[in-house]
Amino acid sequence: MANRWKFPDLGFGVGLRTVHYASILADNPPVDWFEVLSENYMDTGGRPLYVLDQVAERYPVVLHGVSMSVGSTDPLNIDFLTKLKALAERTRALWVSDHLCWTGVSGLNVHDLLPMPYTDESLRYTISRVKRISEFLERPLILENPSTYLEFGTSTWTEVDFLSALAQEADCGILLDVNNVYVSSFNHGLDPNHFIDRIPVDRVVQYHLAGHTHKGTHILDTHSDHVIDAVWELYRRSCQRTGGVATLLEWDEKIPSFEVVHAEALKARQYRGLPAMEPKRAYGT
Amino acid sequence: MAPKAKLKRTQHWMQTVILHPGTNEQAVASRKAQALVSKRLFPRLVLRSKTLDSYQRIGIYRDMYLARLREALASDYPALLHYLRDEAFTELVAAYVHAHPSRSYTLNRLGDHLPEYIRSTRRLARWEFLYDLARLELAMSQLFDASESPVLKPRDIADVPPEAWETVRLKPIEAFRLLAFRYPVNAYLKSVRDRTPHPSTRRENNWVVVFRKHYTLRRLDLTRPAYDLLSALVSGVALGKAIALAGRRRAIGEVQLFSWFRDWVANGLFQAIEYDQPIHQSGRARRTRRK
Repeated sequence: MANRWKFPDLGFGVGLRTVHYASILADNPPVDWFEVLSENYMDTGGRPLYVLDQVAERYPVVLHGVSMSVGSTDPLNIDFLTKLKALAERTRALWVSDHLCWTGVSGLNVHDLLPMPYTDESLRYTISRVKRISEFLERPLILENPSTYLEFGTSTWTEVDFLSALAQEADCGILLDVNNVYVSSFNHGLDPNHFIDRIPVDRVVQYHLAGHTHKGTHILDTHSDHVIDAVWELYRRSCQRTGGVATLLEWDEKIPSFEVVHAEALKARQYRGLPAMEPKRAYGT
Repeated sequence: MAPKAKLKRTQHWMQTVILHPGTNEQAVASRKAQALVSKRLFPRLVLRSKTLDSYQRIGIYRDMYLARLREALASDYPALLHYLRDEAFTELVAAYVHAHPSRSYTLNRLGDHLPEYIRSTRRLARWEFLYDLARLELAMSQLFDASESPVLKPRDIADVPPEAWETVRLKPIEAFRLLAFRYPVNAYLKSVRDRTPHPSTRRENNWVVVFRKHYTLRRLDLTRPAYDLLSALVSGVALGKAIALAGRRRAIGEVQLFSWFRDWVANGLFQAIEYDQPIHQSGRARRTRRK
């Protein structure tokens, strides 16, 4: 089922990371697309921007941010949005995403994806913010479900219903992070299948997949390892509903070689019912 | 019944608790936090899970906050971390971010006040050395993100009429910083990067230019006269006067001057030659040539 904006299914991409710059520029790896961390390129005129320009020339690119602070009660940061819009135009980004969260108030930034209380008040407020952001960016905003480590007693909505209502009312897309669904569900004692089965599929534009760190009492979303089997199964379950959309593998700690990261992304093919593609075949060696 | 915490109050409370130093319990019980949510109501605002109580759950965010900022500062100040070792560096980070919490959407500028913080607090042993070391590393992190500039070519030099040299001004590239130190921090940084034995860190005046070439950061040790000359040039002083200023301590020979300029141009330190007056060359008048 296609998303309502008919954003293309870009296939299987990986996140652009500094440690892979040299190999990407030298080898032109056969990756379907790259996701770019917006904030890393908004205030630099140095090598990161040079590399990004090269990558954007060769591959489809989407922008993914962590600092929009969509749910913050601070005023919108117009300077941030202006730079983000310019970067999206410079890279011809196919879409722009961030998280359903807040990152700070009173002009401060905690640099974390902090959880929202899922209340009527929060929903009304966030809908108005997302509408204003989308209008400013002149494109629909795509929002990701973050990993969360606490629940507010004030919440009257489930996360999935809150996100679904927000997407519907603010007319935004959803970046469904399957690993985050697993992490948050474990941390809150919920059934991850419930989230996967209730998300409105016509709003899902992109998937995220990643590894995590199990601490016994809770799980941290560290992007530091291979995707676990249970997350792959959630991804398969979701693809059966969506028909498959652009899928992105994130790896941010203990990052292995580009080929290993790409191979992990290509594993997603089999869970989507596509023929497996070995990395060697993808690289033509 | 859950407290009637509205969104704004909840966010201000949560941020207050995350930023508060000390233990999770101390943060929740702090006067500032309790002005927003009382300690008694806290367990009803942040629910316990099957495995973690409310303090442990908010503690995950508190731990991640410091860990993330420490990681960012360690990336910008690797030699400072090397000198201080883990424990002292982490203590420095905690105190610093308490005094200078991030106000930007990017972590790249989190450490901008760290050298001044080291100097003004004077808490660290050998703070004067560490202040210089932090200044050097800050300059490098700032130049990493500086805008790319065009670079003066040997041809541009050759085009300058001999009679104009006295009055021309040389414009440095954007990614350029001159630094004067009282401790040999450039040598120390090099030893950390090269994993070679550290040099003496006793007081010794020294001068360094940090710049970027082909998107790679570089550092050049300078003599005092060379530093003085570059200082005058980058502040907009005409070449003839800059040479005179730099030569006040000791006359600078032509051979020496030629050698410096050859190295500086080869390293791409300048982006343009600017003229005070229109010059006539090859039948064309050119007032200013900006590259």
